[in-house]
Amino acid sequence: MRYLPVFSVVVIWQVLSLSGVIPGNRLPSPVNIFLGFTELLTQGLPPGYGLAGHCAGSLKRVLGGVGVAIVTALPLGIAMGYWSRAREYLNPFVEMVRPVPPLAWVPIAILWFGIGDRSSSFVIFLGAFFPVLLNTIAGVLSINRRLIESSIILGASKKALFGKVLLPGAMPSIITGVRIALGIGWMTLVAAEFTGVKSGYGLGYMIMTARDIQRPDQIIAGMAIIGIIGYAMDFGIRIMENKILKWR
Amino acid sequence: MKRTTVAASLLAVLLSTLVCIAAPREVRLGYLRNDLHHLAAWVAMDRGFFRDEGINVEIAGIFNAGPEEMAAFASRSLDIGYLGVAPSATGLANGSARIRAVALANAEGSAVVVRKDSTIRAVRDLAGKTVAIPGYSSVQDFLLRKALEAAGMDPRKVNIIVMKPPEMIVALDGKQIDAFIAWEPHPSKAVTMGIGRTLISSPAIWKGHPCCVVAVDEQFYRVNPQVVKSFLRAHVRAMEYIRQNPEDAIRIGIKFTGMDGATVREAISHIQYHYFAREDDIKEYVTYLLKLGYIKSIIVDGFVREYLDLKMIKDIAH
Repeated sequence: MRYLPVFSVVVIWQVLSLSGVIPGNRLPSPVNIFLGFTELLTQGLPPGYGLAGHCAGSLKRVLGGVGVAIVTALPLGIAMGYWSRAREYLNPFVEMVRPVPPLAWVPIAILWFGIGDRSSSFVIFLGAFFPVLLNTIAGVLSINRRLIESSIILGASKKALFGKVLLPGAMPSIITGVRIALGIGWMTLVAAEFTGVKSGYGLGYMIMTARDIQRPDQIIAGMAIIGIIGYAMDFGIRIMENKILKWR
Repeated sequence: MKRTTVAASLLAVLLSTLVCIAAPREVRLGYLRNDLHHLAAWVAMDRGFFRDEGINVEIAGIFNAGPEEMAAFASRSLDIGYLGVAPSATGLANGSARIRAVALANAEGSAVVVRKDSTIRAVRDLAGKTVAIPGYSSVQDFLLRKALEAAGMDPRKVNIIVMKPPEMIVALDGKQIDAFIAWEPHPSKAVTMGIGRTLISSPAIWKGHPCCVVAVDEQFYRVNPQVVKSFLRAHVRAMEYIRQNPEDAIRIGIKFTGMDGATVREAISHIQYHYFAREDDIKEYVTYLLKLGYIKSIIVDGFVREYLDLKMIKDIAH
């Protein structure tokens, strides 16, 4: 019942395509997109480069970039959340770099890291870093000060404070930051791959190839695959979130 | 009084007809950025050959690669465009745009380039190396694979990646790639910059191979055949001009690419400017595109008859 509107749109679209109202060369019909998708599965694009390889290539880059972002932004975010001095001195840097779209970094990334996985992971890292950082800071700031003060009075070491009070306390906000980071990272990845991929595998690269050989049906099929994987990753994080935050 | 009115009306009709005939016909033109293969278009614009034929050419797009230009044809933003055989034939076969190739723009004019100090001496040495092409289903993609096959190699043994030609020289210098294949002036630029040397030039891969064509939107062709013919007359005149005035052709090449004289001179020396395409050559392209899986389910002969229409250019040349 929930999917009835979506289903109706698809049916109307197919009818309009069949009758020629929607020109096939500008917007392929749902059936043609599906057929394009099966070709991506069976033959690969470019021919011989299978879909599984493209998914793996892209996931590797995204998880690498987002992983490094989490590992660097978490400790920095906790420090900046806890120490107002740190916030004061580091905020200008954050506010100057944050507004620059990750894609603008692509030429520099290629200059620094070449055209392999590292440059696209770097661009993804830049996109993922700030949501994690800002959400971690906000999470720490949202912890009741009394809790922190009590822990210090009761003799908690810095390590215990950070590990047992600040981190768990900020966790709901951190996980939101990670979800956003993963979403941004996945979106940035596709465009980052447009500039070139050394291994020949990547979903963005696959879409670029579909553009090169002028198959809009496969461009859209590729976009749909990217959307589905993005949705699946977000779903996975929400399940993890429920497990980690069981205490809530 | 009545006679004066009639005379005035007739005069008005006559004048407006004359104005209609005299008003230049609009053509929205597209070509590739810094692609010296399209020099004829630039010469015709610079020397006023289009104006002489009574057509007003508006540059509707300058593109980074053939497939982008085909997207412009698909969205009906171009009337006439200069681009490669490969992307235009692929586009027609895959239904993305309805165009006709009505003349050749150039033959040859591409090369495989390696680093100056590279140990790669022959095509066979490309095994296991990374080679950049401007795009899948481009003329250069086709030429590279043809060269690899001629050397008895499986193209899968070479890591073929896609890069924009302006980035290829930097990537080659920085050892990101081991070789690239691109259209002039990029190979010549790599040489004049002291970064690369030619491994094999395209005539050595396939002598006299057609490269870029003059493509027309099919509907525009049907509705305005006289305009297309006038355009082609200017195109032919530009080709003759290039042959007879090489120094001025270089000047125009510099003007439209912004590149230095040495590079443009070197590049033009590798390009053949003539306007007849041979049907057999086009068939060979299309057969190869089929084999690579970029286009599907077409009958080569019938498709080439649909794609290539040299009636007008044959008329003009005689």
